[in-house]
Amino acid sequence: MINRPDAAHCRTTLADGSVATVTATRRPRGTRADVKCHPAALAERMQQVVRLARHTEARIDSRDQVVISIDRNPGPKERDWELAAVLADRMVRAVWQGAVDVHANGWSEHWELGRIDGHDTPTSGAILGGAPGLAHLGGLSGQPDCGASVSAARAWFPLHSGGVNDTLCWVEVSVYPLFAPADDEEDSITAPGMDLAGQLAVRQVLVGARHFDGRGLGRWRTVVRFAEPRFQGNSFELALVMADRIARGREFVPRARVIASGCSSAWHAGQVDTVEGCAPKCALIAREAVAGDRILLPKAWESMLAPDVAAALRSGGASLAWIDRIGII
Amino acid sequence: MRSLFKRSTPASAPDTAALGSSALALRVPSGTPVPQACIGVACDKAGATRRVEQGARLIVGEHERAYCFHPGPYSVELTPFASAPELGLQLTFAVDCPDPRVPQQRFDLYLASEADEGVHLAAFAGAIELSLQRELAQGNLELAPCTSLDEWNAFRAGLNQLLYQRFGVTVEDCLPVDLGERIDYAQLLIERAVAAPAPAAQATPLVMLAPLDDAQALRRLFLELPGVTSALRLVALPPGQAMFRQHQALLQRLDHVGMLFQTMPSLELAAPGKLLDATCQAARARHSSAALNALDEAWSLVARFAQTPAPAWFDDADRILANLEHHGAGRRAPGKSA
Repeated sequence: MINRPDAAHCRTTLADGSVATVTATRRPRGTRADVKCHPAALAERMQQVVRLARHTEARIDSRDQVVISIDRNPGPKERDWELAAVLADRMVRAVWQGAVDVHANGWSEHWELGRIDGHDTPTSGAILGGAPGLAHLGGLSGQPDCGASVSAARAWFPLHSGGVNDTLCWVEVSVYPLFAPADDEEDSITAPGMDLAGQLAVRQVLVGARHFDGRGLGRWRTVVRFAEPRFQGNSFELALVMADRIARGREFVPRARVIASGCSSAWHAGQVDTVEGCAPKCALIAREAVAGDRILLPKAWESMLAPDVAAALRSGGASLAWIDRIGII
Repeated sequence: MRSLFKRSTPASAPDTAALGSSALALRVPSGTPVPQACIGVACDKAGATRRVEQGARLIVGEHERAYCFHPGPYSVELTPFASAPELGLQLTFAVDCPDPRVPQQRFDLYLASEADEGVHLAAFAGAIELSLQRELAQGNLELAPCTSLDEWNAFRAGLNQLLYQRFGVTVEDCLPVDLGERIDYAQLLIERAVAAPAPAAQATPLVMLAPLDDAQALRRLFLELPGVTSALRLVALPPGQAMFRQHQALLQRLDHVGMLFQTMPSLELAAPGKLLDATCQAARARHSSAALNALDEAWSLVARFAQTPAPAWFDDADRILANLEHHGAGRRAPGKSA
C-alpha cells in the first residue's frame, strides 16, 4: 500500500522571471471530473495536458479528483508551466515518489507519448524539458523511451563524501546505432565532461562488460554522462554497466530506478566485487529508495549488514539483491 | 423432395490442419467430426459450454457455436519489456486436462467470450505478451535486473497463475532467452530514425472505435464478470468480522456492476427511436473498452489471490471496481440525440 500525499507542490519559472508554484491536491471524486484546474484562463489547456500525460501511466485509478492550481497567471502564449503541472499531478497520486522541492520547466506537443519537447526559461537546478535534460517522462526513473530513435537509460549510485553531502548520483548511457561496425570499441565511447583518467575507466568498464554480453561489441556509438563528473573511486562501475545493458535493450527493466554500487576486476567475466563504505551507503539508499526501485549491492555486503537494514530497504516497496555476477538470473 | 432430406453435414470437411501448430482453436460448422487429438466445445449465446470428445460429431443448435481445440503444447517467444526487445521469454504452454472441481473450464469460457472465428497462435501470444507487460508495469509481477533464483521462482508462480486465470492455459516451461539472433535493436533504432519525420499533428486524433469493438467488449463483460464474481466469492479469508464486511461490500458492488453491464443500452440509441450523435457514440465506445481493461485487471487480481494474503489486495480490488463502475456509468450516460 502506497502512502499518497494530500497535496504536492512544484515550482516553475515564468517568462518574466518570477517563480510560480503549481499545487495539486487530491479529494474523493464523487461524480466529478478526474482533473480540475485553476485559473479559468489556463484550465482547458492544463486539463488537456494532464489528461494526455496520464495516458503513459500503467495504473488507472478513477477514485480521486486532482485539483491543480497555479498561484501566478502565466501569459496567454506561455507553455513552460506544463511540465510542472504534470509532475505535480504525478506526485500527488504517488506515481512519482521521493521527490522534494521540485522546480520544473518544459512543454510538449506529445504528452500522450510522454515526450517533452523543450523548455523556454532555463533555470539552474530545475528539471528542464527536452534533450539533454528530461526528454521523456520515463526518464524520471531512468527508463528509455521505447519510441525514440536514441536509447538512453540512467542508473543511480551512492556518492559517499562523509556525512551530510552524501547523495545519489546518476549516470546516463545513450546509445546510437552505428551504420558501419566500429573498428575500435573504445573510440566509440565518449564521456564528455570527465577528465582523461575517468574517460579511460569508463571505456574499459563498458568494453569489458560488453565482451561478457556477447552481442554488445561493434554496434553502438555511446555517450556517457554523469550528474556530477568529479568524484573519486570506482563504485560507479556497476551502475554504469546496468545503465548500458538497459539502454541496449538487453536487461530486464525495473519499474523505477536502478540503484547500484559495486566494481569489478573482471567485467569480461561478469563478476561483481565489493567496494568500500557499506554502512553509510546502505543508510543513504534506505533514506532515498522508493517503491519500485531496484537496489543491487555486492554479495559481500550481505554478511556485513544487520538484517534489519535489508528489511527496512524492502519494506518501502523497493527490491534488493546481493549479487556477485551480472546477467539474467 | 431432395431438399427435405438434405444432409446437415457440409460438402467439404473444414480445414483443421492448422490446429496444434499455428492455431489453438478453430470454429467449425455443426456436424463436423472432432479431429484426432482434439476436443470439441459447443458454446451457446449465454456463455454455457459443453465438451465433445475426439471422434464424435460436434452437432450444435442454431444459436450455438462449435469450436475444436488442440491441447498443445505450444511454444512462443514473448518480449516482457517493450524497451528491451533483445531479451525475451521462451514460453511453452498447453491446455491442460479439465479440472473436475470447477463447473466450467476457464479455457472454454475464453473460447465462448473471445474466440470469434478461432484462436490463432500469433494473436494469442500477442494477448499474453500485452497482459504480461501490463502486470510487470503495475508491479504485480516482478522481473528486475539481476533476478535471483528465488525472485525468478516467485515470478514463475505468478505467471502460471496469471495465464491460467486469464487465458485458461497451463505453463509447462518458461525460460529467459536472448532474442539477439532474430531482433537487432540497433537496426530497429535506425528504422525508427528514418521512419519518424515527427508528424506535426496539432490536435490529438480522436480514436474512433468500431461499433463491433463495443459489442465485443460488452459481450466479454457480460460473460466474464460472473466468473470474476464467483472467484472473488470463493477466496479464502482469514477470520475476522471487519474483513468479512469488506469482502461482502466488494461482492455486492461487483454484483451491481455485473447487472449494470447486463442491461447496457445499445451504442447508437440515445432514447428509443432517437439516434445518438457520433461523438457521444465514440465516448461510449471508449468507456466500454476502458471497462474491458478493468476486466482484464480483475482477472489478474484473481490470479494473485493464491499468492497474496487477503487484506493486501483489497485496495486494488477497490480501485478496479471503481474503474468498472465509472466506465459502466460512462457507457450508460445519456448523450445528445443526433
